[in-house]
Amino acid sequence: MQIYLPIAEMPVDPMVIIFMGAAVGFLSGMFGVGGGFLMTPLLIFYGIPPAVAVGTEASQIVASSVSGVLAHLKRKTVDFQMGGFLVLGGGAGAVVGIAIFRHLREAGQVEILISLSYVAFLSVVGGLMLVESARALLRAPEDKPKRRKRRSVAWMAAMPFAMRFRRSQLYISPIPPIALGFCVGVLAAVMGVGGGFIMVPAMLYILNMPTNVVVGTSLFQIIFVTAIATVLHAAANQTVDVILALLLLSGGVIGAQIGARVGVRLKGEQLRALLALIVLAVCARLIIDLTLPPDSLFVIEGAL
Amino acid sequence: MNRIAPLLVALAFLVSRAGANDAGIAIALTDERVEVDTGFTGARLTLFGAVSGVGDPSTVDIIAIVRGPETRFLIRKLEQRNLIWAPGAARQVENAPGLYISSATRAIADIAPLPDQAAFRLGADHLTISVTPQNGSDETEDGRGEDPPAPDDLYRNAFLTEIEDLGLYRDTVGGVEFKKGGLFAVNVDLPATTPVGDYDVAVYLYQDGLLLGQDAAELSVNKVGLERQIYDLAHDRPVTYGLLCVAIALIAGWVASVAFRK
Repeated sequence: MQIYLPIAEMPVDPMVIIFMGAAVGFLSGMFGVGGGFLMTPLLIFYGIPPAVAVGTEASQIVASSVSGVLAHLKRKTVDFQMGGFLVLGGGAGAVVGIAIFRHLREAGQVEILISLSYVAFLSVVGGLMLVESARALLRAPEDKPKRRKRRSVAWMAAMPFAMRFRRSQLYISPIPPIALGFCVGVLAAVMGVGGGFIMVPAMLYILNMPTNVVVGTSLFQIIFVTAIATVLHAAANQTVDVILALLLLSGGVIGAQIGARVGVRLKGEQLRALLALIVLAVCARLIIDLTLPPDSLFVIEGAL
Repeated sequence: MNRIAPLLVALAFLVSRAGANDAGIAIALTDERVEVDTGFTGARLTLFGAVSGVGDPSTVDIIAIVRGPETRFLIRKLEQRNLIWAPGAARQVENAPGLYISSATRAIADIAPLPDQAAFRLGADHLTISVTPQNGSDETEDGRGEDPPAPDDLYRNAFLTEIEDLGLYRDTVGGVEFKKGGLFAVNVDLPATTPVGDYDVAVYLYQDGLLLGQDAAELSVNKVGLERQIYDLAHDRPVTYGLLCVAIALIAGWVASVAFRK
């Protein structure tokens, strides 16, 4: 069976798309990651125009973040004040990201931009994860990792407009969170990712937020920024395919549930090594596609 | 069946009309509109026709051309820059139909003389496509004279090769079936990527390299149903569509989280 996608303007096999959604959902449920960074390249490999893959994936992340955000709201593990500044920066970043995206799309270079961003992003993330999990696997079991100590945030308190963030027990200027949100917002718009992968470590190690509010606050930021990115992609580029998003979602929610259940039974470090290898494999495929001489030296674009 | 009955009436009329001349050809379409909906994976278009005044129908040749709406295509040549293959400056393709399919009883070159092939654009090679550099800043390197501009023929031929690979242009031999008497049918398979718009369908009747008659019909390809509503909304009211996508995503995510709550 085939379904014709109204925006991508191509027929796809819905079972393949649902299965892809389920596979990525499974991984994201198992590892507690968003999965946008795997979904977008997979869609491109399947043949979805890269611009449509990015725009559509932004809307899918909105949907897959809802349950997490609701759970964290209930547990009161969201710092709204911090989240607000992150969203402020993220919204501005998304606007800039979409402007870059649109400009390069008109110049026919957006596919290269997406591929290169992914190569840079996936190689760093996959490499770090692999090193980290290899280290953990080699470490003797009694050798427990050190407790994280929250360092001083004096340099951020010294910046203008410093204020108290009660929930995060911080006294810092809102400029660093806005700047962080901005960077993640650009990534979200250009790559169709939520950016939790960068956001969470940055919140822990740069902003020095306490661990218990980091995930909730980052999800709060992600759902707003991907929602903004979705609307902007739809408005500026007409590249959000609602049918494709719904197909991905229906696979994704099922996969995530199974993944979450399987994940608790397996050993964390081995899992992390496995995810690292998957990430590096996707990255390798992108590098091959970019550097191998193409089958044909010409590309045709329809009327834009 | 309700489609076939009026068609037979029409064909009877066509035959009688064609019979008034010495030799002639007439056609009718089974569907004058092709609808692209969410289940669209391509369509088979059937042209019914009649030839008259030619004696034995097996001695004549028929060429049928389906031509889509003129479309603005761009073509780019991939260039290697620091290990990476990236598209270069765009050139504009002019006078290119969005779809071109010819069906003939034999190879077109064996049926029609060269002047006719050119005049009626029989075969994709005879389309008057031209490729010109896009007026814009990205052609500045030509001004320096370092890089002589590639001949447009190179781009024209590349365009034809590429668009054939995409399934949008095709020259087919066969697909013309003679039925009883002077009746014939031509089956044309439209690809899933068939562009929407108004199409021209033309048939030419040849015998021993001489044009005996021709006829034309019109066809429209439209998006319909949910498929059309989504496409129209996304292009006419993109902000509303974007907000709707976010709303759908929020609701779907919420439904999923409720459904799987223990």
